[in-house]
Amino acid sequence: MKFTFSWLKDHLNTSANVNEIVDCLNKIGLEVSNLKTYKTDVKNLKVAKIIDVKKHPNADKLNVCIIQFDEEQTQVVCGAPNVKLNKKYVFAPSGTYIGGIDLTLKKAIIRDIESNGMLCSEKELEISDDHNGIIELPESINLNENVSNYLGIDDSIIEIEITPNRGDCLGVRGIARDLSAFGIGELKPLKLNNLNDEFNSSINWEIKLPDDKKSLCPSIFGRSFRNVKNIKSPQWMVNRLLAVGLRPISSIVDVTNYVMMDIGRPLHAYDVNKIDGNTLTVRISEKGDQFNALNGKTYELDDSMLVISDKKGVDDLAGIMGGSRTGVDENTTEFFLEAAIFCPISIAKTGRYLNINSDARYRFERGLDFNSPEVGVIYASKLINDICGGSCSNIVSIAQKKSNKDIIFDFKIIKKLTGVDIDESKVEVILTKLGFEVKKNNKNWNVVVPSWRNDVERSEDLVEEIIRIFGYEKIPTNVLPVKSYITKPSLGLKQRLSLYSRKCLSTRGFNEVITFSFLDKLNAKRFGGGEENLNLVNPISSDLSHLRPSIIPNLINVCNENIKRGITNLSLFEVGPIYKGDNCEDQYNVVTGIRCGNKINKNWKNSELKFDFYDVKSDILAVLNVLEFPVSRLKIYSEAPNYFHPGRSALFKLGNITIASFGQINPFCTNQKDKKIEFFGFEIYLDKLPSPKRKVLSKPLLKLNHLQSLSRDFSFLIDNELNVEDLINEIKLIDKILIQEISVFDVYQGNNIPKDKKSVSLSIVIQPADKSLTDDDLEKLSSKIIDRVFKTFAAEIRSH
Amino acid sequence: MSDDIKDKIELIAEESITKISKSKNLNELEDLRIFYLGKKGLVTSFLKTMKDLEQSEKINIGKKLNLLKNKLIKNIEEKKLHLNDALIQQKLLEEKIDITLENDHEQYGTLHPLSKTIDEISAIFANMGFYIEEGPDIETDYYNFTALNIPLEHPARQEHDTFYLQPNSEGTRKVLRTHTSPVQIRTLEKIDIDQAKEIRVIVPGRTYRSDHDATHSPMFHQCEGLVIGENINMSHLKGTLIEFLKVYFNSNNLSVRFRPSFFPFTEPSAEVDIGYKKLSDGTLDIGQGDSWLEVLGSGMVHPKVLEGVGIDPSKYQGFAFGMGLERLTMLKYNIPDLRPFYDSDLRWLKHYGFLGINEINLHSGLNGVFS
Repeated sequence: MKFTFSWLKDHLNTSANVNEIVDCLNKIGLEVSNLKTYKTDVKNLKVAKIIDVKKHPNADKLNVCIIQFDEEQTQVVCGAPNVKLNKKYVFAPSGTYIGGIDLTLKKAIIRDIESNGMLCSEKELEISDDHNGIIELPESINLNENVSNYLGIDDSIIEIEITPNRGDCLGVRGIARDLSAFGIGELKPLKLNNLNDEFNSSINWEIKLPDDKKSLCPSIFGRSFRNVKNIKSPQWMVNRLLAVGLRPISSIVDVTNYVMMDIGRPLHAYDVNKIDGNTLTVRISEKGDQFNALNGKTYELDDSMLVISDKKGVDDLAGIMGGSRTGVDENTTEFFLEAAIFCPISIAKTGRYLNINSDARYRFERGLDFNSPEVGVIYASKLINDICGGSCSNIVSIAQKKSNKDIIFDFKIIKKLTGVDIDESKVEVILTKLGFEVKKNNKNWNVVVPSWRNDVERSEDLVEEIIRIFGYEKIPTNVLPVKSYITKPSLGLKQRLSLYSRKCLSTRGFNEVITFSFLDKLNAKRFGGGEENLNLVNPISSDLSHLRPSIIPNLINVCNENIKRGITNLSLFEVGPIYKGDNCEDQYNVVTGIRCGNKINKNWKNSELKFDFYDVKSDILAVLNVLEFPVSRLKIYSEAPNYFHPGRSALFKLGNITIASFGQINPFCTNQKDKKIEFFGFEIYLDKLPSPKRKVLSKPLLKLNHLQSLSRDFSFLIDNELNVEDLINEIKLIDKILIQEISVFDVYQGNNIPKDKKSVSLSIVIQPADKSLTDDDLEKLSSKIIDRVFKTFAAEIRSH
Repeated sequence: MSDDIKDKIELIAEESITKISKSKNLNELEDLRIFYLGKKGLVTSFLKTMKDLEQSEKINIGKKLNLLKNKLIKNIEEKKLHLNDALIQQKLLEEKIDITLENDHEQYGTLHPLSKTIDEISAIFANMGFYIEEGPDIETDYYNFTALNIPLEHPARQEHDTFYLQPNSEGTRKVLRTHTSPVQIRTLEKIDIDQAKEIRVIVPGRTYRSDHDATHSPMFHQCEGLVIGENINMSHLKGTLIEFLKVYFNSNNLSVRFRPSFFPFTEPSAEVDIGYKKLSDGTLDIGQGDSWLEVLGSGMVHPKVLEGVGIDPSKYQGFAFGMGLERLTMLKYNIPDLRPFYDSDLRWLKHYGFLGINEINLHSGLNGVFS
């Protein structure tokens, strides 16, 4: 909502300056989003008449003009194409600061010719961006007229954000009323000069709504005007309309717009001679009704929209936009003015369905003053009469009666809700100035809500009205009482799992990213999703159309973006949601990581080492360890989802619950044309981790053994297909006490090894339990190991 | 004769001790040892001549010779140790390396600045007795709007730019939550307020609006807060939020302004601004100044919202607030642009990210070692 300072003063008697007004608006909840003041020294500007114009001797595009202003004459060089002899323009003499170009004019010599100022364009004076020529003033303007006032640039433009509840402030008068309640001025009474009816209206209303839909149009008023001239509006009105962003069209249309901005009352004008018949009918549209709107578009209506039609059909979408067939034009001499109350919900629905936005819809949706149709017609009549001449008819109307709401108000609720102590008398003044009527009975007050405040329904609403005018800064400040000095964690299990996963991965060289919860359809399908009910109806773009079934594709995507920038070694992770359905329980929290490129770059000590399957396997185990998960109970399986490489991927399961999946990402899913770069990734499904029933804080007793452990190496030749883990587990079974630890220090295939075999070298740590081992003891254990492996796997010992 | 021998011994003693002390390396020392103490060495041969001496001289000279022998053995040993140390020292000096070379140093990764902000906010509110709740990103119309007093066709809905999902098998059309406020409803539904008497909760999370430009992202983050109790009024709202903002922005004299506003689910409602001034380099100095930045929306929970979840608004009341986490992060860390938050450019992540090993709580400070 925009308005000018001088416009506000039409309704508000105040001595405050514009900055004080802006401050006050912010305080009472009418947030000022922009204040435009003209920076030019507008007092210096003059009306100037060209009394001589010649081509500049040294420049094709310049003219040398002699101008007359006040009682003086002077010479200026002008480059505008529209400078003409005897026409009048805006002149800024030397010494004037010009806001649009941020320059103070000086007497200048332009290609040897003296120039004592400038003829100004709209852009230079910050009126608009138009710089095609200088501003042409009308013939009728006097040389001594105050041109900045004429142009309206001695004013300030204030723009405020009106919250959806304050439809009453979508007119300058409503804003003035709020300001007056604050005490920064007095609201002037609205001047209503009711003109005489000089004839009977040629058009009458008919409401053709079923009984249960009567509420769609509870009130409608109209009036006919004859012998009017639909000329250009006066400059003061043009200036105000331009200042608030409305395009002046013709005086009738301009008056309807002006009244809307001034008192918040949308109006519509029909050309009486274009209406078929003499009745305008308010009804519900029929399916197939066509409507040609003023915006030049044609709309197909369904059977639910509130319209106004004549004999020929629909030509007004109630409260949203007029039709092109019956609109006024420059030849209009007789017109009919409409002012109504329509149901806000119906207007909103229709407007949204047809996607038509208009200033009228905006106001109807937010609710209008029930009494405004009649006031609006009377108020507009005077303006029309002043500008367009002619005469007006009686006012025709169909209106239900509606009495104002009243609220039983217990004064104590102010203190209860806000902590504020305020005098009863102060409250009464605030409410009264806002237009409420306060009837004090005994304990409870009876507060009557003015017709323009549809948003005020109950005591809490009144408290807000009182406190926002009283001042939010006067609300006391208190901290919440301390509940307990024994701190309880504010993070639940879910948040702690996320937090510790993030900390763990970040210390392992991963960088955390946050990516969108949506992705494109192809990736959704590749990664196990793409269901219709996870498809957005109105995505930002087709790249962001489906909710993600996995975070991996997003990480691959951002890896590829980084690779394009030349960053090829990447370890990225995200802890966030994936979606398997549209119910609450279908959203899972997943730790997802991707690694690609080198783990170690080629350097002066080492050769390059690439990330591989085993790195992401360690990542999972590291995270699970940090999450205090019983890692030893995990079983590994090779059936990872298809978006992993078929031979280099795995699942970790606890029983039959999949805890994590990992491996090389299937090269078909990496969006790499040549599939050259290998990505390794993992997903840990945090919601699948079993939550311990009760955490035992005490630790098992530690028994330290002081006998020295020793280590023996064994190399076995085993089948290629055999997993090393199976070999290790078998050996562990031989002596659970002595065999403490088995590590793999070499796996070899190639020369000297049969093709279907691999050589696996193990280092076995033997920890004596109660006495040192003799050579004989060790020899016996070694033999047991070799025999067992041979018997179980038919695997031969190569060396030990 | 014995005097002659005595003189010679004196001479040998003087000469040998000097030579040993001056010997330059182990070989030279060994030669000296052999020369004096070897089987045919000078001292040894004197000892051999002892048998020819008279008894009285034998004792006298023998004593001298043995003293000399012992002294030489000791000196040679000491010298040997000394020469050995020198050798090792020499070797150490030869082991000099280029101290300017480096290993590929082990690099810590980083946490996203939004994670840091969420952790900070959680820590601050934890100290005020709040706990954390979360809710689903895919919401029903009821939780996202209706239960929050935003009925169908309410103009406030248009301000939400809602993402809709295709209707599911039951024909209902779900939405991506446009704010974290639906979790207010879910939390209140879950809790028996008569038993709990009071609830203090914050809800950080992902939110979505169909808007994408320099200052809007289709996905962004909010943190909701909700306090319901028997005697919670607007002064507590003010106190809590001022406290929070001061700690978060690490500024004890932060100026905070409350302005009347409108949210369908609070009444009265307030927007919260913080003071700042723009520095000559274009960055913002948060704390004090003539300019104001909006950082929070808040208000007393609307009685209709409470009634909707079966809470008697004449018995319980409270406040709610919501904030945009990207904005708070940008302001605190002077990050100029919103879009890179989701671009995952490694250079950005490293520059604006935080170490994950730092604890974020009030006893160790929210802002690292020097906080």
